Amino acid sequence: MRSLFRRENRLGLFVVAPFAAFVALFLIYPTLVVLYKAVTPGGTLGTDALQRALSGTYRTGFINSIALSGTSAIIGGIVGILLALTIKSLQRPRWLHSTLDSWSAVASQLGGVPLAFAFIATIGTQGILTKLLMNVGIDLKEYGVSATGFWGIVIVYLYFQIPLMFLVMMPAVSGLKETWREAAAIMGASPARYWRAVGIPILAPAALGGILLLFVNAFTAYATAYVLNSGGALVPLQIRFLLQGNVITGEEDLGNAIVAWVIALLLTSLLLMTLLQRRTLKWTSS
Amino acid sequence: MANVDMIGIRKAFGASVALDDFTLNIASGELVCLLGPSGCGKTTALRILAGFEKADRGEVRVEGRDLANEPPEKRLFGMVFQDYSLFPNMTARQNIDFGLKVQKKSATERTSIIDRMIEVTALQEHADKFPHQMSGGQKQRVALARAIATSPRVLLLDEPLSALDAKVRETLRDEIRRLQLEIGVTTVFVTHDQHEALAIADRVGVMSNGRLEQLAPPRELYENPANAFVAGFIGTVNRLAAIGRSDGRWDILGRTVPGNRPAHEFITDVAAIRPEQLAIDPVTDGGASVVSVSFLGPITRVIIEDVQYGRVFADIISADASGLAPGQSVRVRLRDDVGEIVLIGEGE
Amino acid sequence: MSMESVTALAPGHGDPAGPPPIDRGRRGVRPSSFIRWAFLIMVALYFVVPMLAMARFAFQNVPTALLTPEKIFTGWSMSGLWAALTDPQILNAAKTSVLLVVFAIILNLVLLVPLAIVTEVRSPQLRPFLTAFTLLPWVIPPIALVVGVAATFRATVPWFLASVFSLVPFYALWAMPFTYRALDAGLQAISARTLYEAARSMGASLGTIIFRVLLPNMRASMIAASGLTAAMVLGEFAFASLLLKTTLPTQMVTYERSDPRGGLALALFVMLLTALSLGLVVRSLRRRGLNVQTTGL
Repeated sequence: MRSLFRRENRLGLFVVAPFAAFVALFLIYPTLVVLYKAVTPGGTLGTDALQRALSGTYRTGFINSIALSGTSAIIGGIVGILLALTIKSLQRPRWLHSTLDSWSAVASQLGGVPLAFAFIATIGTQGILTKLLMNVGIDLKEYGVSATGFWGIVIVYLYFQIPLMFLVMMPAVSGLKETWREAAAIMGASPARYWRAVGIPILAPAALGGILLLFVNAFTAYATAYVLNSGGALVPLQIRFLLQGNVITGEEDLGNAIVAWVIALLLTSLLLMTLLQRRTLKWTSS
Repeated sequence: MANVDMIGIRKAFGASVALDDFTLNIASGELVCLLGPSGCGKTTALRILAGFEKADRGEVRVEGRDLANEPPEKRLFGMVFQDYSLFPNMTARQNIDFGLKVQKKSATERTSIIDRMIEVTALQEHADKFPHQMSGGQKQRVALARAIATSPRVLLLDEPLSALDAKVRETLRDEIRRLQLEIGVTTVFVTHDQHEALAIADRVGVMSNGRLEQLAPPRELYENPANAFVAGFIGTVNRLAAIGRSDGRWDILGRTVPGNRPAHEFITDVAAIRPEQLAIDPVTDGGASVVSVSFLGPITRVIIEDVQYGRVFADIISADASGLAPGQSVRVRLRDDVGEIVLIGEGE
Repeated sequence: MSMESVTALAPGHGDPAGPPPIDRGRRGVRPSSFIRWAFLIMVALYFVVPMLAMARFAFQNVPTALLTPEKIFTGWSMSGLWAALTDPQILNAAKTSVLLVVFAIILNLVLLVPLAIVTEVRSPQLRPFLTAFTLLPWVIPPIALVVGVAATFRATVPWFLASVFSLVPFYALWAMPFTYRALDAGLQAISARTLYEAARSMGASLGTIIFRVLLPNMRASMIAASGLTAAMVLGEFAFASLLLKTTLPTQMVTYERSDPRGGLALALFVMLLTALSLGLVVRSLRRRGLNVQTTGL
């Protein structure tokens, strides 16, 4: 950093300053204000708001959100890994890898309103799949599947979770050297043994990191959840209620406190994720 | 220890034939190098031996037993790969331990084997390091230790040194040979580096286009190449026209010498003449002139343009070359101590 | 030793023009390829069926509730899409969203192009800070930042939030990670540092280098960054909705309430358009050997 302030590098400062000011004003400042207000409810230092944010319906909200995000992250993570492994092992149609790669880059961004609509059209009460299955005597509702329920939302989230996991895992899976498998085989190890001793331990950090990312991704998803079930007891939807009703005194502190918890949760997950990714990088590039 | 026979192997990938009627017999305890340019089929041969590829035709036998239906896991071989292929999540010690664990050896036995392997490969300081903390040479030593720890019947080395830099390459090359002699394991060593092959092999198999061109001890390969490809691939060679005489000898570079096949009158053939078999006389009417002179230490490489033979390479003792300079008129001749020439032309 | 260095000069050195190097990399036939394909087909179905269902839903000629099981594959109509595409409120919202895209892209490039260049060619020590920064939008997503914005700007400068274009800086913010990544990848691909030093040694001024050498070479990454930004802005719902702004995504939800068929048709239309343009951007970049990280990580 010091060299930045040397005379010939004053240019660097000219470039960095507007960027830093921009980020500080629109990202750092609002965030710090929220965090500050969260620990000073009603103007005095205290954990009152932070405690309230984790009790009653808000506690339910956090539990639901964590369960939903966790479920979709784990299922999406497993399917994403299997997809990456399958693609790696099938070298035959050459277009397969590149197509799936591009498609994932697109689909991982396809959250939001249209996606929720697509699933309403598929497994909603009037959905095409619902009706088709009813035709052959299967009632999806009897199986607890509807676009607005827990499993319905999980199914919808998987639509962007699986491609995201595929994108995150593909480098690690590509980094699995064929010669590792061959070295294990020539030493007498069965494929199962290779996976247990080598394959899984090598993929594990990347896989855990990817699942954490998926968790964060699902936890903060708002549009899909809102369209599917705007009254659901999920943290993002509760934030909406607090935000729109913050004329009532005290509610504002509650909103700040919930956001503080959310940021803490995301920060922890993402720090863990970067640590795990660093380890993967070291292994697969050596 | 085991003798290995590959008999009449053919292997094609789609339209391109990687191995064609490939036969190789290796005696127990022997170190054979498969040498050839990339794409010549040498790695395919090794991978068929290891069981990673299935031959389209032909047999692989170890100790006389056909291995057709044995997967790599069952062959009891050891292998070292070009990219080291160490398991990145294990230390050097754990890497060596892997195969021993698979063999269900007792803990005490494993420890004693690992300790011995670490000692013979001089890895004491690195035993508890992970692969990403080691240099290329250290990693390949671990890979070697890992491959021989399980007492394999056959040791396979797939270009084990080509990712290393020159100095490490030479040291490790000699280390591999020393270890191989010590434990007496039958070894197949694939390489594209002729110096490596000539330096350590009992016999070298030169390959091209999926065929074994010649299988012979290094010295024989150099002095008596079977054909033009082998002559050209091993060392440097001048291809010079030799003219047949009725007495069965050949005229070349002002001398008349016998060849590895008899001459007939009026036929010409191509002789493989090594640069060190040539001498240069500084005369004005020799019909040749010096193009360049490169000092290479003990010897000096002189490139000459000869009116009759074209461009000729000659290696002469540096002490004798001090007077030579580009542009100088000279005569090229075959050295007096060359008793016989090797003919590599297409035929009679 | 000497041999090696001169071998290439040897007149008789056989140049074996063998077949292409097929020596390695292949392996024997694997079993269970049936299972792999079955799995792939199931995943493909999961991704395709909702799109087809959406299309069926959107292009029917009867009200949704009347779509009985028997009529499920008959009776098509584009009227829903036409109605939605000609709806004045939708058109207005679309115009707003396109303007938001343009402003966010401009703001992003103005802030980040100089920064990426300076980081690459003059001050690489800034790189760790910027890499750490690219994680920030994941930590502070729209749903969290909106509370902060309400707590600050709404209270102190209410006029700022009055306009829909107050969304621009925030959208630029969330687009920054992948914009920076794309620009950085582009600069590294052309080895900007070497180019810069070469141009410098020939006496070129900094301005000349930037405008004549670096910027023309960064066009691909700028297009990529812009494409990703566009996709993000055209899909962003949470922030706009919570600040009660009318953009294409929020208007789409409103419209769907009154006309589900038209709403779905419009959503499908927008989604296909986004996917298509994103796909083109990604593919064209891959062809240039640039790896796009849409996740911005």
